[in-house]
Amino acid sequence: MTAASARVGVDVGGTFTDVVHLSSTGAVQVRKVLSTPPDYDRAVVASVSELAAADCDLEEIVHGTTVATNAVLERRGARTALVTTKGFRDVLELRRLRIPHMYDLFWRKPPPLVERRLRLELTERLAADGSVLEQLREDEVREVAARLRELGVESVAVCLLHAYANPEHEERVGAVLEDELPGVSVSLSSRILREQREYERTATTVVNAYVRPLMSSYLRSIRSGLAERGFEAPLRIMQSSGGVMTAHDAEERPVFALESGPAAGVVAALGIATRIGYENVISFDMGGTTAKASLIERGALTRGREYEAGGSLSAGSRLLRGSGELLRIPTIDIAEIGAGGGSIAWLDAAGGLMVGPRSAGAEPGPACYGRGGVEPTVTDANVVLGYMPGATLADGEISVSVERAAEAVLRVAAPLGLSLEAAARGIHEIANARMTRALRSVSSEKGRDPRDFTLLAYGGSGPIHAAGLAEELGVATVLVPPLAGLFSAVGLLFARPEFHDVRPCHLDARSADPAALEELYAEMEAGLRAALAYLPELEWSRTAELRYEGQSWEVEVELPSRRVTPEALAALVARFEDEHERLYGVRGQAGSPVQLRALRVAALGPMPPADVLAPADPPVRDAERVARFGHDALAVPVRTRSSIDAEPEEGPLLVDEYDTTVVVRPGWTVRRHEATSTLILERGTRS
Amino acid sequence: MTTNAHADPVTQEIVANALASIADEMATTIFRTAHSTVVRDGMDFSAALCDARGETVAQAVSVPFHLGSLPVAMEKLLARYGDELRPGDVYVMNDPFDGGIHLQDVFVFKPVFSGETLVGFAATTAHHGDVGGRLPGSSACDNTEIFQEGIRLPWLRLYAEGEPVEDVFKIISANVRIPRMTLGDLGAQVAACSVAERSLLALVERYGVERLQALMGALVEHTERLVRSEIASWPDGSASFVDYLDSDGIERVDVPIHVTVTIAGDEVIADFSESSPMVRGALNSTRSFIQAVVYQAIRAALSVEVPNTSGAFRPITVVTRPGTIAEVVMPGASSMRGVTGFRAFDAVNGALAQLIPDRIAAAGEGGNTLAIFGAERPTGERFVYYELVTGTWGATPEGDGNDGLANPCSVAANIPVEVAESEYPILVERYGLVPDTGGAGRYRGGLAIERAWRCLTDDTSLIVRSDRRAHPPYGLHGGRPGAPSLNVLRRPDGSEEELPSMFSTTIGAGEVFYHRIAGGGGYGDPLERDPAAVAADVAQEKVSVRAALEEYGVVLRPDGSVDEEATREERNARTS
Repeated sequence: MTAASARVGVDVGGTFTDVVHLSSTGAVQVRKVLSTPPDYDRAVVASVSELAAADCDLEEIVHGTTVATNAVLERRGARTALVTTKGFRDVLELRRLRIPHMYDLFWRKPPPLVERRLRLELTERLAADGSVLEQLREDEVREVAARLRELGVESVAVCLLHAYANPEHEERVGAVLEDELPGVSVSLSSRILREQREYERTATTVVNAYVRPLMSSYLRSIRSGLAERGFEAPLRIMQSSGGVMTAHDAEERPVFALESGPAAGVVAALGIATRIGYENVISFDMGGTTAKASLIERGALTRGREYEAGGSLSAGSRLLRGSGELLRIPTIDIAEIGAGGGSIAWLDAAGGLMVGPRSAGAEPGPACYGRGGVEPTVTDANVVLGYMPGATLADGEISVSVERAAEAVLRVAAPLGLSLEAAARGIHEIANARMTRALRSVSSEKGRDPRDFTLLAYGGSGPIHAAGLAEELGVATVLVPPLAGLFSAVGLLFARPEFHDVRPCHLDARSADPAALEELYAEMEAGLRAALAYLPELEWSRTAELRYEGQSWEVEVELPSRRVTPEALAALVARFEDEHERLYGVRGQAGSPVQLRALRVAALGPMPPADVLAPADPPVRDAERVARFGHDALAVPVRTRSSIDAEPEEGPLLVDEYDTTVVVRPGWTVRRHEATSTLILERGTRS
Repeated sequence: MTTNAHADPVTQEIVANALASIADEMATTIFRTAHSTVVRDGMDFSAALCDARGETVAQAVSVPFHLGSLPVAMEKLLARYGDELRPGDVYVMNDPFDGGIHLQDVFVFKPVFSGETLVGFAATTAHHGDVGGRLPGSSACDNTEIFQEGIRLPWLRLYAEGEPVEDVFKIISANVRIPRMTLGDLGAQVAACSVAERSLLALVERYGVERLQALMGALVEHTERLVRSEIASWPDGSASFVDYLDSDGIERVDVPIHVTVTIAGDEVIADFSESSPMVRGALNSTRSFIQAVVYQAIRAALSVEVPNTSGAFRPITVVTRPGTIAEVVMPGASSMRGVTGFRAFDAVNGALAQLIPDRIAAAGEGGNTLAIFGAERPTGERFVYYELVTGTWGATPEGDGNDGLANPCSVAANIPVEVAESEYPILVERYGLVPDTGGAGRYRGGLAIERAWRCLTDDTSLIVRSDRRAHPPYGLHGGRPGAPSLNVLRRPDGSEEELPSMFSTTIGAGEVFYHRIAGGGGYGDPLERDPAAVAADVAQEKVSVRAALEEYGVVLRPDGSVDEEATREERNARTS
């Protein structure tokens, strides 16, 4: 890969399609166009060809999309069947029984993606060690295939008990189904998720099967549409893990691309932070209805292994499970909470001031937009506080009325006996408190002290709230990157190719045979190397999952050396014990049995060279604005990003941008990192 | 008190969030580090924070019955050690006669100090897989006195100023079947308390001890006001309801749980005085546990969300009589009193349904069925495999009962079949929904769930606590009861024997224990159910064609669609 080639990042959301084009000379162009549901590919093809028209040496197109996620949320996926071991067709519907609302007896569980009559059983049985207790019968598989044909299914998920330990039965079922049902896509659980726990594996495989026909035709349309316009550059797809894969892989295993948009934003956060020299960062993405946080530590993303698509965002607790479709896939660990610019403020029955989780959304939007909203939102509070300009935003698409904002906020101020400004401050601060919970869940809940981290803020409302949140958490530095509003599209240009493989095992870590482990790792690496032949060079990461004997949850740690030696194995166990203590405050007694439960390999492609520069400043309308900080109303200078230079300037300052404002609070300074045009806000020692 | 009801609602909400996230951190720590399936997979544990007075100010998503029992446990701890609490101390207790709720639920509390000032307590409760006693798993319906149920720990120091009290650990180790599991779970509870201490002290640093205390106090009062204002909106009145247990723990006999619920202004009184005298078996409940049951029932009937604090309990009074099943006295056995709690919950709802019908659902499956397998592995090592079956809800005024969702009183999770089989010598033969078991109604009750285990070891102790065989879950307002529960033992020769609801026995390799939990009660007249909903249930194989006709008066065509005309005739014929 050479630095001279142009690249395009396209992020498709439910409302907007964002495109960032980085030319071979390093110039940046952006486009924000309306998405074109249900044929999302049309906006992608049109906007990419428009932006990249003059560019004949397009190196690659990196794509992030919510098409698969939306299909799950809106239940528009394929007519999908599930084939299970006899006696277990209801595993999908029973889930883990977890209930997301402790005290709501009227809560209705969402129906399963595959209805009961499309869940068929096969006589066969494996034991936990993978040995065969009851043979699979091919004639019965053919009967099931005939039944599936009758039922008119478009996609089939196969999940047999203990297939993680021995995939042979699933492979045979897959072969027969493909033979009997041409044109029907078949997803095998042992190929999607080779891990123990039948519900998690079934649910993940089902989602894959459910979105596969749709994703497949969507990606083919994009490729053919671009090819017709003369673009031959390869299409790469963002994964939930933050790495990219080929479009072909995404067609086979779309479940890995389910939440690619938010992942891309965190990848961009990592890219920017690394370039400026920050290793420990909490990314903070605040949009209209939700705020998301993720931890970057020692220059690396935090990986999660589980995620709920369409889960209730309002829960506020990550222990609450059961409201969405559970997926056990490699993800960037992102905590999400239902607090955003559109979150509505209200009074509970005892007169307590509450914010969210209900949101005014895009329609009618905050009251200040004058599109029918009357209830006070966080954005209205921010207008009253003077943080946002009472003018027009986003090229005049949105006009903001200070009067309407004030009217709305008064609806809660009056009953509380508070002044308009005090109520607005309350709403702003309660929104911060709720978002703090998301930030804490990725930091202090994992034993990380947020004060050791820098906050990187983006999304339409992120830069407004970031410094206040930082004060709440004791964070000293806030970074606000350019293009904060289309940051996910930017992230696509920072993403590396990334692939994973895993082998479950059940070994005593202190006495395992290093040579056997080395062989397992080597086997996985050989497999990935063959699949990734198109990449010139690969970087490898070997990790292992360990736990104390008797526990059920593993801790993943990196192998301390490239090869498995007796010394490396001992060091691995020591690392596990240290990490366990750091996470949970305790370690086992000396010599406690430690189990090795899985080996994992990640292959990373080359890091793309991307120095994103800011586009031109939008015009600034106010020279100064009255903004409120604590009990003070101050006349605060309003600036553009490019007018800030490398010398720190003291706040308060407001930096108005295309669709947001960077709030530099009193007691903070701001300077600009020139190479990335990132604003760096630092808390002075005086505050 | 310096708390002011209207002091700074903003800071109060911020602190409430902070406390709640600390409780969540505690819960995460427990299930990530625990050793027994019942805790780490079944999620039978709780985590909470209390202020310096012992008032609960936050609770993680975990067992509601535990939360309501905390105040009494805390009261006993303070009475015993209130003047001697030291930084670094950790206290342990499981004695139902010293604030506990049965020996299996072990309480681990840690006072949190800022310097020499008490800030509050980290409080955890976990259901231990074994605490010694007569049979593996310690709990058995046919235990007849507490001395058979395991080691009894009144409030004791587990750590003194940061140092483990080795004598206590030794006594515990010597009295349980699988010390590593028990100590592992205790360790998880201690770890959670340490995590909470770290985070609570960070809050102290920010707000100062006095202000934090005031804010925590205000949060409790805020909760109380919320609950009172909702109860005040309910009509005043009084109603009684009797529900029954199938057994006294030893043999089949009706055991009445009687409650009279009175709504008076902004308060509720639940009186269990007329309930059965204490029974011979282990179904006797502590008074604190019955209190927790009532708190949960009232809490669930509220239409507003309220913070998880002890302020929610203040408007509620629970009356029990010593020596009854609702208030165990020495030396009564209580290990299996969970089922009594579940039934008391159903009884309270049965009474509330007469007072606030729009807020109350029909009865669910009747609580978790417990099946405890214990034996020696081929290697000679002991195991205790603690299984639970739950997940069927009654229909509500708004819709069908859920099929496969944790009982709202226990919020347990199921134990993955693949995990169970890889850790214990057991084979799960089936796990699924049973058609035609949901009580018919305008809204259908949830379907029963069945699970069958093939035992792979000889001389395996099997202890089962189920219920709702003789008295199936009730329907409301014309809805039918759910199908009764069922226990069957299948022998290797294929012969079958029906077993009672509650029993302890020994089974051998190759024998299969089958359990079907009860179906949920229906809500409203089945003849008013939308025929399309009945047809959909038939298409999903949740209701049979026969039951569609017999129970709902719905006539289906051979293709599964509703024969509207025939259905109308059928229904008219039945109502006329």
